[in-house]
Amino acid sequence: MSRHGLASMSSTEPPRSAEVVIVGAGIAGLGFARELVARGVRDIVIVERGYPGGGATGRNVARIRAMQLTEALTHVARACQAKYERMGDELGFNILFYRLGYAWVLYEPDEVARMREIVEMHHRIGVGSALLTPDETLRHLPILRGGEAVAGAVLNDDAIVHHDAVVWAHVEHLERTSVRIVTGTKVQAIARGEHGVEAVETDGGRIETRAILNAAGGWAGELNRLAGVNAPNRPYRREVLVTAPLRRSIEAAVTFYRPNEGWFNQTLRGEIVMGVVDPTEPPGVEQGSTWDFLGRTAALMVRKAPALADVAVIRQWAGMYDITPDHLPLVGATNQLEGWWQANGWSGRGMLLGPYLTELLAERFVSGQTPPHLEAFDPDRFGPEPLADEAEADYYARYARR
Amino acid sequence: MPLRRVPGPPTDGSSRGPLVRFTFDGRSYEGFDGEPLGVALLAADRRILSRSFRFHRPRGLMCSTGGCGWCECEVDGRPSVRSCRVPVHEGLVARGEHAWPSVERDLVSLVGVFSRWIPPTFYHHRFLRPRRLRKRYLDLLRSFGGRGRLRFDGPIDLAVAGRARERIATDVLVLGGGPAGVAAALRAAASGENVLLIEADRTTAAVAHADRAGLTVLTGVAAVGWYGGMLAALGDGVAYEIRARTVVAATGSYDRVPLVPGADLPGVMAARLVVDLVHRHGVVPGRRALLVGAGLELATAAEQLERAGVAIVHGPIPTPSLIVVRGRRRVTGAVVAVNGDRQRISVDLVVFGDRSPNLDLALSAGAAVERRGETLVPVLDADGRTTVPSLSIVGSATGRSGAATGHPTNAADPHLDTFVCFCEDVRVWEIRSELAAGYLDPELVKRRTGALTGPCQGKYCLQSFDCLAGPAQDGPVKLPTARPPLRPVRLGDLVAAETGAPDIPDER
Repeated sequence: MSRHGLASMSSTEPPRSAEVVIVGAGIAGLGFARELVARGVRDIVIVERGYPGGGATGRNVARIRAMQLTEALTHVARACQAKYERMGDELGFNILFYRLGYAWVLYEPDEVARMREIVEMHHRIGVGSALLTPDETLRHLPILRGGEAVAGAVLNDDAIVHHDAVVWAHVEHLERTSVRIVTGTKVQAIARGEHGVEAVETDGGRIETRAILNAAGGWAGELNRLAGVNAPNRPYRREVLVTAPLRRSIEAAVTFYRPNEGWFNQTLRGEIVMGVVDPTEPPGVEQGSTWDFLGRTAALMVRKAPALADVAVIRQWAGMYDITPDHLPLVGATNQLEGWWQANGWSGRGMLLGPYLTELLAERFVSGQTPPHLEAFDPDRFGPEPLADEAEADYYARYARR
Repeated sequence: MPLRRVPGPPTDGSSRGPLVRFTFDGRSYEGFDGEPLGVALLAADRRILSRSFRFHRPRGLMCSTGGCGWCECEVDGRPSVRSCRVPVHEGLVARGEHAWPSVERDLVSLVGVFSRWIPPTFYHHRFLRPRRLRKRYLDLLRSFGGRGRLRFDGPIDLAVAGRARERIATDVLVLGGGPAGVAAALRAAASGENVLLIEADRTTAAVAHADRAGLTVLTGVAAVGWYGGMLAALGDGVAYEIRARTVVAATGSYDRVPLVPGADLPGVMAARLVVDLVHRHGVVPGRRALLVGAGLELATAAEQLERAGVAIVHGPIPTPSLIVVRGRRRVTGAVVAVNGDRQRISVDLVVFGDRSPNLDLALSAGAAVERRGETLVPVLDADGRTTVPSLSIVGSATGRSGAATGHPTNAADPHLDTFVCFCEDVRVWEIRSELAAGYLDPELVKRRTGALTGPCQGKYCLQSFDCLAGPAQDGPVKLPTARPPLRPVRLGDLVAAETGAPDIPDER
């Protein structure tokens, strides 16, 4: 029988007050709680609408990629990956950190030209990515044989983890602390006064507090509205399917961007997870599965990797990317409302960035000083005016703008 | 003791194809052209067709409806194909999967000796030290994972024929061409509505009525998912997107495996499989049989087994009287409670008749289900409507008539080592220990144990899972979210043709 668990720390009855209330028991909320406790904050409550890891944290495929398209983000992402590599030791829990490898598979000459510069940047700052020729790509990823002709690939020794194990590692760790999780409880209102936030009203009762972290993932926008805070992030559905388990056969997490963004990789158990993004997906809180997704994904996967035609799809699901205009999260305090803290807008990178950036946020919370790596994620960087909704741009174009 | 075929043509009046030769794991066998591969293998006394995912337990034919996945093997290079649904042909090449050196003698099954120390959470506090071996541990875990082989070194058939897409709008869509489905379709057609009936099998009694005004019948078309009121289905070369004012699910029932240790052994068979084997294929699956549970098909199976000379040792006994099924590689005996005494009996076949309603459509549409006794049933109003007004349920899928009417089970006090979920080899004690640790939400029990997440997606364990993880009394239940597809679908079969037939807004 397990010695650990939720029983001793969770309830559905919120306390009357708390020094810090964290809304959302996903990777951001759990990570922030862990880091605050480590810095001596004791009176912390996490309010969770469902169960820990019930949102995007439990719906993603947990790729922990250090190589990024810009130098600034690569620096941060390396620190994020290093944090995951230490996490097993720090929390005494095996999160199945595994260097599966990560490959951007390229199909157009312009992608190769672009990536050549990016790989040079990686090398300059010490990331060991490699630009593969088409032959090398097919040797490393024989799953692509017989498919659409590749123009090359960028390969790096990046990792995957088990998303649920990351959640349980945090839950077990927090169980040994004073942090409490209130599950199955929804926030209904935010009470604000002259000096900033005053309380969180939930369907289980009111919690008086002077500090609230919005770590609500796809629901962060709704929560910001309850607090009267403007933020430009919008949730977009992203879908996934998983196949029956197959023997070890794909030695990298694959992502491609042409003609549309798509990706697949094999888990340690052997299932293949995959998805193709719908560039016309409208924003909104939506986690339903669609039939179009199956057809779209099947068509593109079979075109890229014909051997996948024979695998059996056993399940599909969806989660939300909470996307900001620059695809970087909002992590920090906002000057719109005293005591209102943001850790959201992860734009599909919450698993990677969450633990490290919430560590920096906790540092900021207790010391008042903003660590250098946190500066790029200032929640007020877009200004107070709400921005227009924006459909997904071409992946590379997002970076060209900046 | 080898199995035997009844000489002469099948008693159901059908005709057999000519004898063909095929291979399984390199050995050559004979079977009748067109009969299911699993049946031909059973007739040749190959009872172990697959190995379970975690503990490599031997598994064989159990349901024969393509639902349970216990008969999955590689067929002609395709991984994890359900051999109960694949017709045998001359030169077919099949192989067992997920075993070393073979499914018949699988040395990896020795992990079963240590199974009490390998709960699904076994890795949580392990394999962290020494640090330098961490990757090696996970490499080793990876090599134990997987099932089917993905082949990309051979020639690849690039011509994945895309399916034509056909959009259909109708008044009433009936799913399932069994007696309840046909009756519902005829009733609706008689009241002047346009009715479409789809049936996954090639035959249904509905075909005879298909020329009746207002009734269209499509056979060989299987529902894939309910997407916000649109029902997606796949037939030969066509993907159907069907919108109906009313959807009537006449999807029948699933076999309910007794919740006792050993119930997953080759030789434990659903009554309807036994009827199918003897009556249609002339294969007698044992010599000494124990009959368990209730149901019309159990009586038919008993009659046919007796006629074929099988000794019925007991039967039928109520399901709670079955204590253990014994055997290592196949059924060799059972322990039963008779008049308060435990008796050990020697049998090589355990036939069970219990069924539970097929809740797939209700769950994927988000309709409420409730517990009645030890069985989950959809919540229905007086007209058979679920809590999703456009979805009605008829026949045994209601859990209120036919075979799937809640019979007593072993769920009240199951042995701790009993397997609940067969795809992931999840046992009673594993579910209980998660509950004891405070992971009370069924979603968390699912995630932490892996129950309901295997290839059958809970079809054969949801009922037992809920008896253990759900509330103790009758009434509403909270179940882990059901997700499409309704059954495993080959990825290549989902490719929509880029230049398919034009959309047909309405057939009529």
